[in-house]
Amino acid sequence: MTGISRREFSLLLGCSLLSPSLLANGKQSLFASAAKASNGAYELLVIDQAGRLHLRHELPARAHHIAAHPHKPLLAAVGRRPEIFIDVVNYKTKQLETRIRSAQGQHFYGHAIYSADGRWLISTENEIATGQGLIVIRDALHNYAVVQQFSSAGIGPHELKMMADGNTLVVANGGILTHPDQGRAKLNIDVMRPSLAYIDIKTGQLKEQVFMPEEYHQLSIRHFDINQTGRVVIGLQYQGDKTDDVPLVAFHTQGQPLALVRAPISTNMAMKQYCGSARFDKSGKVAAISAPRGNLITFWHADTQQFITSTTSRDGCGLAQTEKPEEFLISTGRGYCYRYNCQTQSKHKIKLNIPVQTAWDNHMSKILA
Amino acid sequence: MSLLSITRYSALSLVFLLNAPIAAAEISQERWLKLNQAAVNEHILPSYNALAEKSKTLAMASASLCAAPSEENLRNAEAHFIDTLNAWQGIQHVQFGPIELLMRNFTIQFWPDKKNLTSKQLNIILKNQDPASLEPEFFRTASIAVKGLPAMERILFADDALKQIEENPYRCQFLQSVSDYLVIQTDNTNKEWQEYKQEFSTLISEEGIYENAQEASIDIMKAQVEPLEVIRDLKILRPLGNKGKAKARRLESWRSKNALQNIQMNIQSLHHLYSGLKDYNLFQLLKEEGANDLADSIEQQFITIETTLGKIPTPLSLHLKEPKVKEQLLLIAQELKQLHESLDKTMPALGLQLGFNSRDGD
Repeated sequence: MTGISRREFSLLLGCSLLSPSLLANGKQSLFASAAKASNGAYELLVIDQAGRLHLRHELPARAHHIAAHPHKPLLAAVGRRPEIFIDVVNYKTKQLETRIRSAQGQHFYGHAIYSADGRWLISTENEIATGQGLIVIRDALHNYAVVQQFSSAGIGPHELKMMADGNTLVVANGGILTHPDQGRAKLNIDVMRPSLAYIDIKTGQLKEQVFMPEEYHQLSIRHFDINQTGRVVIGLQYQGDKTDDVPLVAFHTQGQPLALVRAPISTNMAMKQYCGSARFDKSGKVAAISAPRGNLITFWHADTQQFITSTTSRDGCGLAQTEKPEEFLISTGRGYCYRYNCQTQSKHKIKLNIPVQTAWDNHMSKILA
Repeated sequence: MSLLSITRYSALSLVFLLNAPIAAAEISQERWLKLNQAAVNEHILPSYNALAEKSKTLAMASASLCAAPSEENLRNAEAHFIDTLNAWQGIQHVQFGPIELLMRNFTIQFWPDKKNLTSKQLNIILKNQDPASLEPEFFRTASIAVKGLPAMERILFADDALKQIEENPYRCQFLQSVSDYLVIQTDNTNKEWQEYKQEFSTLISEEGIYENAQEASIDIMKAQVEPLEVIRDLKILRPLGNKGKAKARRLESWRSKNALQNIQMNIQSLHHLYSGLKDYNLFQLLKEEGANDLADSIEQQFITIETTLGKIPTPLSLHLKEPKVKEQLLLIAQELKQLHESLDKTMPALGLQLGFNSRDGD
């Protein structure tokens, strides 16, 4: 089944502007994440703010990010590199709706998003033969048939997000070449060229692209978030010498150069050259960047780009905004979730009601249920 | 193991086997607690206490040197510096607890210092001779590069150190101020551990840092395993250079000629943590779990590395370019890698995971 034509797709995209937050006003937040249970099983879990379990779905392999449908109770758990599955699960009926397989010769990179109207599922993928990054669009109304795919404008595309216009897709091209035959080995560290690309989702045309400056070309752009004003915050991962002292956070606004920033030197060193996740708070004024290798979560001002503070969190990586400004939910590989308020610097452990000890994976997604 | 704990253990593992199909053994929280207690009481607390005590003696020696600069007082201060450095090397692997607070670990020793920030910033301070830079207030906000062991090392082990101190007494005054600041850092770390040790004394905790004893053990296991990579990559391979061009100035503590001894202290301490704790240790735990060969092999690997290290001539900085020394160091790097792999193997056997996002993230 082909679903719809590419031309129809372009026309349909015009009506994707409805904001999901308007649809779900006043309802409770749920949080979804990939996880690994202590018996080794990979799962998709959904909890609420009180730590109650709402869904436990076993996945075929390890997933990375969970994309939430803006108004249906659907979650897309995206297999991490080099997996070839996305499980679309209904968290109300607890049923697997569809198991998407990537096309022959392609694999997923762990990230996907729904368009604002929920019609399309958009993912980053690898064209294995060429190593070039792809953006692939699937139709959620036609069993996730592929309707369009185009270049991500780089190698190793990872996280992707939509600007508030509903039309401009932002993609982090991590720059790292991998091939499934060689597992997760990095094949082009010497020549990698990470970038942030702004792409017109209707045409696939590149609207703007900012690259890492040459001296920092080994700083992989992996994870980012966008706030209400279109400001992008990026968490970086360094592939160069272990002793290099490099910036690990960047900010970007369309039309401007990339701004690389760093925490005070001791904190920057403690971050161990690796950021795992980047999320804005509800107000969009404060960004949290996790550094799981350094057991740290760092906080930054969106406007001034200044480092605010950090908090220790062992193997802490997943981040989500809560309903309160300056408050984040933090999940850890040790199996815990916390609410951390950046203003009061208070941390509250959420009492999880989950039958087995579970390692929370890279990302936590907030769902407006 | 007492009969009671055997019974309890068997009962637990039976329940466990029925419930979850895992190959790894279920080790009771009681046994993790026993391991934690031994590590804290016999290893961590005495090491931090030694570091605090050595720092105090060093501060006194620095004061004596400044009061009466002489060859004898300089040698005395240098000797106490080495004692303090060795004490630090014996606990450098612990990267959790009070040492994390305010980045004390980096404050005590900012290294590696690729851009030579310590020298650059220290030289400015020594040139300006601002009395305010000698005050505790200054140290609260000063760069971490100038308030720990590397700054002191540069003053004490400089060429003509004594002459320079005599000509510019400010050098010694600053040395003394850094030394006093180090005492505050190490003394506070030591004191705070008297409270922090409670975190390692509970089986299950609602409010503590660790949910249970096993989780607390993970931090101790990380301290056991992860430094091996740091020693290999930063203390050995980096000075050896990647194109066969050895660079002695990349060695840790090359000025005080303590690079090799630093590594020896690190290994000795990790070995002690592995099998030297009298009450209980990882070696014993592995044996109880039936991992006899692995336990013995790790013990043997520690001994082999110590033996190989013992054959290397000192000071390492003066011998680094000798082909035979390079060969020995490469051998040690290889042995450290094997030891790391062997210790990694024990983790699934013990049902532990040292890191999920931190070790295998994307």
